[in-house]
Parts: sequence; structure tokens; C-alpha cells
Amino acid sequence: MKDATAGAPPNGAGGRWARPLPAPADVWAVFLQARKRDPHVHVGDVHAPDSEMALVLAKENYARRDPCVSLWVVRAAEIYATTADAAGMFEPATDKSYRFGGSYRQQQRVYRGAWRLSHREEDQ
Amino acid sequence: MPSEPGDPEQVAAFNARIAAGDQIEAGEWMPEEYRFEAVRLINMHANSEIMGALPEREWIPRAPTLARKMALTAKVQDEVGHGMLLYRVAETLGRSRDEMITELVEGRARFHNVFHYPAETWADVAIIQVFVDGAAMQTQGALRSCSYAPYSRVLKRICYEEDFHIQLGLDVWRALAEGTPRQRAMLQNALNRWWTPILHFFGMPDRVSPHTEKMLAWRLKVKSNEELRQQFLRRFVPIILEYGLEVPDPALRWVEEEQRYVYTEPDWEELKRVGRNGGPKSAERLALRQRFHQQHAWVREAVGRWAQGGPARAAVA
Repeated sequence: MKDATAGAPPNGAGGRWARPLPAPADVWAVFLQARKRDPHVHVGDVHAPDSEMALVLAKENYARRDPCVSLWVVRAAEIYATTADAAGMFEPATDKSYRFGGSYRQQQRVYRGAWRLSHREEDQ
Repeated sequence: MPSEPGDPEQVAAFNARIAAGDQIEAGEWMPEEYRFEAVRLINMHANSEIMGALPEREWIPRAPTLARKMALTAKVQDEVGHGMLLYRVAETLGRSRDEMITELVEGRARFHNVFHYPAETWADVAIIQVFVDGAAMQTQGALRSCSYAPYSRVLKRICYEEDFHIQLGLDVWRALAEGTPRQRAMLQNALNRWWTPILHFFGMPDRVSPHTEKMLAWRLKVKSNEELRQQFLRRFVPIILEYGLEVPDPALRWVEEEQRYVYTEPDWEELKRVGRNGGPKSAERLALRQRFHQQHAWVREAVGRWAQGGPARAAVA
């Protein structure tokens, strides 16, 4: 197993590309799921000695008004993050328009044209 | 004030990032002066949320209906919650939460001027919820685009809840403004007492200083004090007039060609005095906060022992 904080970023740039989140040992990151169809999202932190207390405090602080169906807590210091230096690795190295639906408009125009042709006013 | 300026190249790169609209994350390198100013700003905000809960808290037992009591309790809980969020953000800049709380209860820290004043009647609750929270919304709304990313994320949530507080306050305001002559007089009286502290809230009139320039360039300040005060007046003076109440400053008027309000200059010495914890309620509220802090020391101690798996935990297991 390799520690993400060691070694160069995958995009070949220099500098540290990953780091543990700086947090005191008693800080827990809270992830909230608003509806079953949504993912858990980081909403903030709490201070707590253990997971049980962390969940209780998370409920009081983050789930007292808006919808919530599930909470996760994890010690914040256990979270590894990419650094600002590594932001460049998210920039696409090549044209990635082929990954987006919007790049395929020509086909949509063909479909729409075909639909119009087959639904002429006088036929209705 | 930190004296160590940092590596000039690193500082220039940092400034360029902010100038390009980028935001700084917790744990990233920053000039010591930026850290100092960011902590000062966020710590003061956190203190103000905690101390700001106290004036309204006094009215929870005396709220006129159960619905009002529940809504006010929820509002006070939000304010304390904001304090929790903000102390955590300040902590990411290198201060410990214990240290900040201790400084506050010992009267060595500052909190916003408006929370040093008494809440004498139920109408004060309406004024605090509409005008004090409304004033805070101008400052905090602007700071959502500040350069410290953890602060801007927390402000998004805070502003969302503050908006609820203003709506809640407007409901109390409307009930009193449309009420009996005694209720209207009580509301006018509260407005008169709060007017100066609210104008003070935005701080002294702007002077062009290298410090202000730097804060603006770093986006730890987004709009000037006077800009925010004018923004507040534009939104809130019409609410006073709409309900036929009087603006407590007879000299206040809208200047069309300058698109701004002119108003009687408040006594800025009072703001300075109050800011140094010399307001009418400063000592009493700090003493109350300190007493609660001491009363609850056993809870913190028990939690600490539990974390260490000490005798308390062994007894339960």
C-alpha cells in the first residue's frame, strides 16, 4: 500500500499533491444525506470524544431543519485530500468534448428533422 | 500583529491567486498577516453569535404565545449553532476552541456592539430579529465571496438561517405595528433605542488606509462599512415607513442624485467604548456566560474522561 501524501502528482507536476486534512483528534467530519436518492455530502464538523457523541452532535447541529435521512461521521484527520498544487491534474490534457452529451447535437437535429417530416400538419 | 512577512515570491503567488478569484483552503500556506486578520474576523464573528443569543434568550420564558416561544427558541439555537460552526473555522487557522472560549468569558475578547445593549421589552425582540439580523445579513452576505473558503461555506448556511430569523422577526414586527396604540408605542420606543447601535454596527465611516486596501485586496472585506450601511438603509428604512412608524433620525433623507441616504452622524465614541466591553449590558452578560461555562465544566470533564476510556466508561461497560 502506498501513502497518497508521498510521491509526485499523477499529472507529472512537482510539489506535494495529497495531504491529510489538518484537524485536531477530536474533530469529526459530518456527511449528510438529504434524501435516499442523494449522496452523502460534507456539511461541517463537530467536536466529540467518540462516534456516538459525534452522531448526536451532528444531528443537533446539521439536521434540525432541512430534510435528512442519514448521517455519517468520520474522524477528520483520517481524511486525505488533494492539494491546491495538484489542482492542475483536474484540467483535461486533451479535448474531452466527446464525454459530453452536448457534443452530439447534430444527431439531435437529424432526429428532430425526421420527426417534423413524419408529423406534417396536413396528415393530422 | 505578526512581523514575519514571509517569502516575497510565495506572498506574490498567494496574492495573485486571490486576485484571480481563487479561495484558500484550510491548511494551505498563507502569509502570517492574512492568517492573523482572518482569525480576528472569524473569532469576533463566533463570539458575537454566542453573545448574541443572550439578549433574546431572556425573552424565551416571557414570549407571548407558545408558537412565539418555540420559534424564538429555534432562533436562539441557530445562533449558538453558528457560533459552533465559526469556532471550528477559526480553529482551522490555528487557534484552539478552548482558548477562544476562555478569552471570551474572561472578557478579553470582543463581540459586536449590538449585543452589549438591553432587550427591555418584547418589541426589542422584533427589532433584533429584523434590524440587527438584517444588518448582520448585509455584512455576512457580502462575505460569502470572501477568500477563505471554509468561512464562505459556513456563511452560506448562516445566511440561509438568518433569512429565516428576519422573516420570523417581520411577523412579530407586523403583529405589533398593526396592534393596539400601546403595542405600536412599544415598537416605536424599541426602534428609537436601537437606532444608534444599529448604525454603529457597520463600523466607523471609511477612511482610505493601507490596511483597508489590503483587507479589500485579500477579500477579507468585500464591501466598505459605508457601502454596507447604505445597503442596509435602502432595504430597511422602507419597512419602517410602510408601517407608519417614525425613523428615529429626523435628518434622515434620501438623496436621489447620489443614490444614498444622509443621516445624523452617530456618536462614534460610544461605539469605541461599547466595543471595549464598556456597554450597558457587557459586564452582566459576560458574567452570565462565565457562570454557565463554569457550571458546565463537569460535562466537559466527563466527556474528556469518557474519551480516555477512564473509570466513567468502565463503569458503564
